[in-house]
Amino acid sequence: MKDRRSATRRFLEVEAPVLAILAFALAPYAWMVLTSIKPQAELSIWPVRYLPENATFDHYRELIDRTTFAGNLLNSFIIATGAAALGLSVSIPAAYAFSRFRFRARRMLMTGFLVINMFPVVLLIIPLFILMKNLGLLDTFLGVILGHSTFAIPFAIWMLTSYFNAIPKDLDEAAMIDGASRSETIRLIVLPLVMPGVVTAGIYIFITSWNEYLFAMMLSGQAVRTVTVALQLFIGEFTIQWGLLTAGGTLIALPVTILFLLVQRRLVGGLTAGAVKS
Amino acid sequence: MERRDFLKLSAAAALAAPLARPAIAQTPTTVRWWYHFDNPQNSPAALVAKFEQENPGIKIQAEAIPWGGGNDYQTRLFAALVAGNGPDAAMVRLSWAARFASMKALEPLDAMIAGWAGRSDISDNVWKINKGADGKQYYLPLQYVVIYLYYRQDLFQQANLQPPKTFDEFLAAAKALTKGDTAGFGMRGGAGGFDNWGPFVLGGGASFEKGGVVSEKALAANRWYVALAREAKVTPASAPTDSFRQIVDAFKAGRTAMIMHHVGSANEIVGALGDKVSAVPVPRAADGQGWTYFGDESNAVFSASKAKEAAFKWIAFLSTAENNIELNKLTGQLPITTSGAAQWTGHPKRLVEASSASLPIARSLPDHPKTPDFIARVWPTNMQRALNGEISPDDMMKAIEQHFNG
Amino acid sequence: MRSQSGSGTPPPQSGSFFLITAAYHRPSRWTPFWFLAPALAITAAVVVVPAGQTIWLSLQDYLLYEPDAATFVGLRNFQAILRDEVFWISLWHSAIWIVGVVGLQFLLGLVTALLLNQSFWWRGAARALVVVPWALPSVIIGLMWTWMYDFNVGVLNDILVRIGIIDAPIAWLARPDLALAAIMATLVWQGFPFFAITILAGLQTIPSELYEAAEVDGANRRQMFRHITLPSIADVIATALLLRTIWVANSLDVILVMTGGGPGYATHTLPLYAFVRAYSSMEFGYAAALALILTLLLLTVVWLYVRRASRDLDR
Repeated sequence: MKDRRSATRRFLEVEAPVLAILAFALAPYAWMVLTSIKPQAELSIWPVRYLPENATFDHYRELIDRTTFAGNLLNSFIIATGAAALGLSVSIPAAYAFSRFRFRARRMLMTGFLVINMFPVVLLIIPLFILMKNLGLLDTFLGVILGHSTFAIPFAIWMLTSYFNAIPKDLDEAAMIDGASRSETIRLIVLPLVMPGVVTAGIYIFITSWNEYLFAMMLSGQAVRTVTVALQLFIGEFTIQWGLLTAGGTLIALPVTILFLLVQRRLVGGLTAGAVKS
Repeated sequence: MERRDFLKLSAAAALAAPLARPAIAQTPTTVRWWYHFDNPQNSPAALVAKFEQENPGIKIQAEAIPWGGGNDYQTRLFAALVAGNGPDAAMVRLSWAARFASMKALEPLDAMIAGWAGRSDISDNVWKINKGADGKQYYLPLQYVVIYLYYRQDLFQQANLQPPKTFDEFLAAAKALTKGDTAGFGMRGGAGGFDNWGPFVLGGGASFEKGGVVSEKALAANRWYVALAREAKVTPASAPTDSFRQIVDAFKAGRTAMIMHHVGSANEIVGALGDKVSAVPVPRAADGQGWTYFGDESNAVFSASKAKEAAFKWIAFLSTAENNIELNKLTGQLPITTSGAAQWTGHPKRLVEASSASLPIARSLPDHPKTPDFIARVWPTNMQRALNGEISPDDMMKAIEQHFNG
Repeated sequence: MRSQSGSGTPPPQSGSFFLITAAYHRPSRWTPFWFLAPALAITAAVVVVPAGQTIWLSLQDYLLYEPDAATFVGLRNFQAILRDEVFWISLWHSAIWIVGVVGLQFLLGLVTALLLNQSFWWRGAARALVVVPWALPSVIIGLMWTWMYDFNVGVLNDILVRIGIIDAPIAWLARPDLALAAIMATLVWQGFPFFAITILAGLQTIPSELYEAAEVDGANRRQMFRHITLPSIADVIATALLLRTIWVANSLDVILVMTGGGPGYATHTLPLYAFVRAYSSMEFGYAAALALILTLLLLTVVWLYVRRASRDLDR
């Protein structure tokens, strides 16, 4: 759709509101970044000082040098990527089935998948801990990945189902008439069209796993400690290490944002209805 | 597509798994010890190395567990004990003692303590506070933490006031110092705030025996305490949900004149206020009775451990003179040993003195399985409701009585 | 789940396609289950046992530190719950919580998605940056916002007083009348990017030809929004709302960090109350029963949704 508005109108109607929303979204984050470059003495004073007097990167230096934060970032990345990969690889076929096929257990299974997300996770954590211990998966990447994907998969399936539903079934049937097998149809025709949805589901799983705390805390020890657990270590019994905490908090949002920046180009759908025309 | 991905993933995990598991040495005994430091960038590695050098044949695996307001640490510990893969020793709190006792999870240490040289270096009062309900010693004290009263000695001097020794002096001082932006007393109504409430109410005559929380004296003391916020208005408006972070921040920023906390925050507060701040033991009642919270931190050995003697050697090591000093340099608290406290330079002297002077009135909460619930749920909700006027102070005490004594 | 009639409907003469299609390719009855098998396997393996245990626990009087003294009490936990005033308070708060948080997240997310769907040169950066609130762990969000709301040293009070909107600082999290609203604002901030991204993806799947055809027919922007955009993303919106409702209903991390449920019971929601009874009192039986009630309520909502959606679907 061609945008026929004048540049000024476009600025007022689109770019200015976007700026306002971004300001809202980023203000607390900006406050955290500012805090992370303030020396210890400038934290928590009254009246509130917004800009640091003596900006320092000491907190970052201490974070990287004296804690395991860098390694924890890597662990989180591995786990989140693993969860996204595993989650997508099982959710895509499942969503396809729910979207394309009609079978008796369909409604029950769709509802059933969501059931686990209806339990407050905190109550499942101890039985899950015992289960993982019996499977020998404590303090391993696979254990945390399984824990994370299990809770992300139902949501991913539901989201992908709705994106699949947006692609007309005729497309599949037309392709299969032309001789394509079902898996070829999925891979070559449907999946590219539903790529924005796949990207969204993948991002969803990644983010859910990235900033998940409870499973990571219970199911991992020091070997595969994630960055959320590492941050929690800065919140002690009697003090909060604000400097390290805000420095860590600043860094923790970066990989996700960069990843999303790279991936958001795939959010552009390229389909036309011409695929169905003979 | 999916099968290949899955296989790759399993292969990766299989490769990672042995790499992920810590190497367990075959011949030496391994002691797994769980701890939590407020400063995680401080690692006990030096102490571990020293111990292993003095005790060849024992390897220590120290693992930092997030505290998470106490909940996370407690949950990990209890879950591990229930699942059967708990550590050999861990840092533990007195308030969990009764629950551990129900689960028979702890190993009595009396025999091993009797043969320990460092025993006499810990004062008898501290041993008494740490004793189990059945008279056996399960906990080995590690740090010395008592709640005292921080006060702005510059503001007190300006107003010609002496640091308060009794409740009435406390109220007078708080009233005199509440003006403008400043509140006289930074009351802690949020999590952990029972240690603000205790000196005035438990020190004022309440006790946790049957009926002890709803006696006339107890009810009057609690009404007096709630009145600090509601009638005398010497507390900031945020008092009901303020926890340690908030009261320390407000005090550092000069918005309150007195707070109750312990030496763990000393360096931070002195860093901001310097000589303007000092400390005294918490005020006592008119009859001389007093109460302050002994904020414990101890080590314990678990009964399921297969390396009990080695574990005890390790925790005893941590509570011995120079090692205890080293440890407390890492944690920012006071050493538990009398000799250590004498030579301690980690905190300003006046604050250390206030801590030591508090020992005669230092107490812990009842050794009862319901105590952690009192600390985390019953006290905060009822205190907050009373402070906000949703219930009367007397109702609050009745709820506490109901909780402990049914 | 409404299917869009506009996109891709074949012209009438291909009605014969359907006859050939039906005769040519009938998937086996088991095909769907092969597609579902991996997902079922993983969720079942890791989830059924703990879920079953929770249901079993809800029928017991089970204290975690007295595991051997557990007794079977049948429905007595549930009876106690109905008489528990804190349960009703928590339930009421949960209702306000869900409607307010999901509603506001959705509205803000929808507006954001519509805006980010337009073209302007820094669109990519804007899309990436809007994700930031969603990318932060709950504990950081809780701590930062608690600090921002702080009565003594918080920026929010400072800014509001300076601008002149209020005269004196407000103890946002200590007042029973404001605490829940304050935390809801935090959650709206945290979660609106989810709606923004999800709806944006949906908007991207609308074929541009539809808009072009409508433009040729003389439709203006508002009409195109009402008749093309909204129907096309209705399914995505409905699903996102449902999923978000479930997530928000169960979320307690941020409340726990910010007020722990206080002051008093002012920010108690049902999952938080279950958590407190489980981990503070260690009464796992009672907590499991509370959790189960929440689960059943959500299950009812989902089941009703699924049934209605299936009825609409007429493929």
